[in-house]
Amino acid sequence: MSFLIPAAFGLAALAGPLIVLYMLRSRRQRVEVSSTFLWEQLDLPVSSAVPWQKLRLTPLLLLQLLVLAAFVLTLARPFYSQQTLLGPHTVFVVDTSGSMAMAGRLERAREHALDLIRDLSEANQVSVVEAGPRPQVLVAFARDPELVMAALNQLLPTGGRADLSGGIRLARGLATPDRPTNVLIFSDGGVSVLPEEPIAGADSVLLDDIGPNLAVTAWSLEPSTEGTTRAFLQVANFSAEPAVVRAQVTVNGLTAGFVDLDIAALGSARQTTPVDAGPGDVVEVALVGNQDSLTLDDSAVLIVGGGPERAVSVQGSGSPFLSALVDAVPGFTAAGDGPADLLITDGGPLPEIDRPTWLIAPTTPPPGVTLVELVQNAAVTYQRPGEPILDSVDLSVVAVAQAQVVEAPQWLVLVRAGDAPLILLGEVNGHRVAYFTFDLTHSNLVVQVGFPILGARILEWLSGGSAGAVSTEPAGTPIGLSAPAGTSAQVTTPDEITRDLAPGSASFADTGQPGVYRVGYRSEDGTVLEGPVAVRSFVAEESEGAARVIATAGGALGEEEASTLIREWAPWVIALVLLLMALEWWVGHQRPGWKRRSHRSIDQPKVPV
Amino acid sequence: MILPPELRARLERLSLVTRRRVAAQWAGRHSSRHKGESLDFADYREYVPGDDFRRIDHNLWARLGILLVRQFEAEEELPLRVVLDSSRSMAFYDKFEVARVLAGMVAYMGLAAGDRVQLFTVPGSDGRPLGVGPAGRHLSQWPRLETWLEGLEPTGGSALAPAIRRLAGEGPVRGSLVLVSDLLTPDWQSALDGLAVGSGGVILHVLGSEELDPDLAGDLRLADAESGGELPVSTSEDTMRRYRDALERFALDASGRARRSGLDYVLVPAVAEAPNRVLAALARAEAVS
Repeated sequence: MSFLIPAAFGLAALAGPLIVLYMLRSRRQRVEVSSTFLWEQLDLPVSSAVPWQKLRLTPLLLLQLLVLAAFVLTLARPFYSQQTLLGPHTVFVVDTSGSMAMAGRLERAREHALDLIRDLSEANQVSVVEAGPRPQVLVAFARDPELVMAALNQLLPTGGRADLSGGIRLARGLATPDRPTNVLIFSDGGVSVLPEEPIAGADSVLLDDIGPNLAVTAWSLEPSTEGTTRAFLQVANFSAEPAVVRAQVTVNGLTAGFVDLDIAALGSARQTTPVDAGPGDVVEVALVGNQDSLTLDDSAVLIVGGGPERAVSVQGSGSPFLSALVDAVPGFTAAGDGPADLLITDGGPLPEIDRPTWLIAPTTPPPGVTLVELVQNAAVTYQRPGEPILDSVDLSVVAVAQAQVVEAPQWLVLVRAGDAPLILLGEVNGHRVAYFTFDLTHSNLVVQVGFPILGARILEWLSGGSAGAVSTEPAGTPIGLSAPAGTSAQVTTPDEITRDLAPGSASFADTGQPGVYRVGYRSEDGTVLEGPVAVRSFVAEESEGAARVIATAGGALGEEEASTLIREWAPWVIALVLLLMALEWWVGHQRPGWKRRSHRSIDQPKVPV
Repeated sequence: MILPPELRARLERLSLVTRRRVAAQWAGRHSSRHKGESLDFADYREYVPGDDFRRIDHNLWARLGILLVRQFEAEEELPLRVVLDSSRSMAFYDKFEVARVLAGMVAYMGLAAGDRVQLFTVPGSDGRPLGVGPAGRHLSQWPRLETWLEGLEPTGGSALAPAIRRLAGEGPVRGSLVLVSDLLTPDWQSALDGLAVGSGGVILHVLGSEELDPDLAGDLRLADAESGGELPVSTSEDTMRRYRDALERFALDASGRARRSGLDYVLVPAVAEAPNRVLAALARAEAVS
């Protein structure tokens, strides 16, 4: 036990005056009695003339000395040190990857964190970072345990891979110079990509609970040679015992068949089965009667695509940026040597416009457009306000080495550099045409953050909308949105909750839950235009539930020895003081029965009757 | 009302028992030293002229040839004097209230038995050592005695011995005497020695709870309520033990002196049950029947 104010023990010297008071003869109190006749028979001792008397250790004196000692102890503020992971500012980084759903790892992490915040006081602040597929700060610099508890309770395991590095970066971003910050990582390590060096200023709580697990590790649809659809199923057994499992296949919620699999220990089994499903049908597989330690991977879902993906042909010089764009945008694929639904012309002469076309600085302008001159070193000065294609796309820093100055009175100018239009939309021969007046490789547009979004929206606009488009990605992958003008997006999540997004939202990132996400665009009159459908699947690598220690270098960021908690004994000592004072009062005023035990009862006079 | 109705009903069936024969002026229910007209045979004596012929025992005259007359017990009233200590020391610890009830109880019992009851108080008014109260011979006179008892207040210092001497000089009639007092006066011994009463009596020694078991602590100056004198006392276990010893000696001495004077002695704690205890103690001592 240590003391915050040891000087208070000097007050123990008050015991001296207290004892002196007991040694001083008190002034005799006058008490009137019926007669002193009997008292005079006692041969009473003669009182001493000195004011002192022999000290008698009465219960009252002992109690008063104890009260004084307890009081001094209270003022000295005894305390004890307690090692805690909670520092002046602690950032909880909680892994919410798929493997954290195994055997209650996330629940244990939550309980551990809740235990820690019981120590939360005015001297401590806590932030919570969810390290899921897309790390985010749930609460920052909270002193209120209720806030932290609410943040911790909203954590749910996702079906994706944790971005622990991103979570730790977020946590470090919360560090402030005035307050030492330590990062506490609740994770199983899992399959996250981690830095090789120990993470400085951090501690980790390893959550390595594990149990047997059967997981659907592959579920896909492919056309068969007979023209029907076949489903491919793979189930992995992550336990040391072989397993026999039955999988139920449903189409739009109706049972379509069962697949029985014998799976060796630590092995996997695969099988294909015909599925009678058409475009837009939801085909789901689920392991029947399986009770294992990880349930999120016991099912998988697919949606039969709304038709063949649109083929995009890139003609002209082309560029890696355009190829990457076509590959990245869901619902579009490179046409190669086959027929193309869309055409991208990068430079060169004007092609025949018989389909939606994206013209990039053709040497000859399309009909309705007049080439006036070329302009050098042009910079964007204008973005058409309210244009959905440009929504959340910042082109203000885009500069081009050379651009065509054209006149196109029937075309819609989206972006302009001075008087020179840079991006225009129009129609030629009844087909939509997007016209870029500059070479992409002679500009910095392709390295802008907004380029993929801009490119995707142009492709979507050229294809006339995206209803029925289906994309299947790992859980946590954002869903790109392209809301038409005058609409706002809404997303229906796998648990059938519809979430309205703010107007202009370019993507929906809360896709950690495996399942089907349906996008709709709500117009002002309340009608909902059907948008793309996205499937987010459980990341198969998370099913194994592998755990590994995260190397950390403890200590707070900015200060050493920040994890010692000082706890005072004050409540107990004050309670002791009150107890002793009550006892002292009782002894001093209530005359306890034991004090008169030796007296004879008046009901039993000893003298003869 | 000093005596509750149920106690009165009980007292009407009781009477004090005299230990010696009564010498009284009036006929009553107690045996007299004079031979009288009762049905209880007492003795024979020789016939002298003037005796009632009806008392000559003819059977003895026929057998012995001498004239003997039968003598019978004379039943006379018991002069009962009840002395109540109303000194200031009696004002403590409910002693006077209890003592007044006890005095009234004895007086009522005497009236119920047809005795001549005379009340006294120590000290009397106007500085006199003895105050003389009303007398009575019948229960119809109880209200007067009760009113006088209710009017008494415990005031002044007591000089018990002069009062007893004064009482002895009240007249030639001897009878029973009941003294209700705490005896907390320096002359209590001579007072008891002077109480050699012809027909016995009782000392009802009333002491309060604080006198039997003092609840005192610390260094004190005890002030005597009657004399005003102060006595320094430092209480301790030893002091209290010595006090209890002194109290015991005091009670034993009082008891012994009372018995030597032909009186019964009852130590009465000043509590609500005192009347019942006194009656029980007197019954055990065969002082009431």
